[in-house]
Amino acid sequence: MHDDEPSLNIPSLLTLAVVSFFVLRWFFNRDDSPSAGGRPRGRGNAVDPAQVDQISQMFPQLSTREIMWDLQRNGGSVAATTERILAGRGLETPPPSFQPQVAMPSANGPARQSTSVAASTSKADGQDLISRYGLSAKLTSESAEAASATPSKSSWAQNKEERQRLLQKRRDEMILAARRKMMQKEQGKAK
Amino acid sequence: MASSVAQKRLFHEYKNLSTNPPEGITAGPVSEDDMFYWEALIEGPGDTPFEGGVFAAELKFPKDYPLSPPTMKFVGGGVWHPNVYPNGTVCISILHPPGDDPNHYEHASERWSPIQSVEKILISVMSMLAEPNDESPANVEAAKMWRERRPEYEQKVRDEVRKGLGL
Repeated sequence: MHDDEPSLNIPSLLTLAVVSFFVLRWFFNRDDSPSAGGRPRGRGNAVDPAQVDQISQMFPQLSTREIMWDLQRNGGSVAATTERILAGRGLETPPPSFQPQVAMPSANGPARQSTSVAASTSKADGQDLISRYGLSAKLTSESAEAASATPSKSSWAQNKEERQRLLQKRRDEMILAARRKMMQKEQGKAK
Repeated sequence: MASSVAQKRLFHEYKNLSTNPPEGITAGPVSEDDMFYWEALIEGPGDTPFEGGVFAAELKFPKDYPLSPPTMKFVGGGVWHPNVYPNGTVCISILHPPGDDPNHYEHASERWSPIQSVEKILISVMSMLAEPNDESPANVEAAKMWRERRPEYEQKVRDEVRKGLGL
């Protein structure tokens, strides 16, 4: 009776192993092939922020969500997305449930120009003016001299460095004055 | 050749804006070594939720300025406004060249022409902050909020104004 048990004999086990080897190999090759032509991507549907940046710089009217949605669906091909926009077909509005997965920009290899782009956008995003213009040092000293500070409304100099300095001064004063006013207003409310 | 015309013109505008600055506006090149890249500060207009705020924007000029308009983008924190794209790019008619009218509602007189100037752009943007143009929103969600849930919109703007000043 035991001899008739078909699932345990050696030839069929071997066949199973060979077949599953080929099936697995085909499966992973298929998964890798789209990225072979383009840039290496993490497995899954993560979108490379550098690509999103690249497209949104060309077409600032598009929302990042739309771009991510299209990139995710075409396997991360900037060319295909650009082609689609230029052909006038436009991008589809992603479904509300769409949660873009953003790939961490890899530090190696083709991180190239995108690093500068990423750096400048991260500077642009969600940073207040105090840190942007390095004014935090002036916040403490500034309250003392606030009263004496005369707003330098108009300013022009013959010398380039001097002009630069005057412009910067006017800019700093404008930000600090606005901050001061806002704080006074809030203190007034709190009382 | 063409770019030296642009440079001269930009320098002239810079000088005018410095000696005779409009109320609530500061603008100039980040460095005079590159006259095609400016930064501007605009005060939020009074009697609006933007009041008391200061908004920084970068202006990038094309080499054939003033034939073509510059682009303008708010930096350092978003500006929650129907006519400002989520990435900060400003969308108003004065920044569109007269030739193309992507929205099909702007009058040629409102659009860019060499008789406009940086000063006029900045003043237009200031009044845009006060009065959003609902016809072709750049930020659809902000437009929707502005239209349907005004108090929420105003609160969000006020919060961002404070954040922008580091408070």
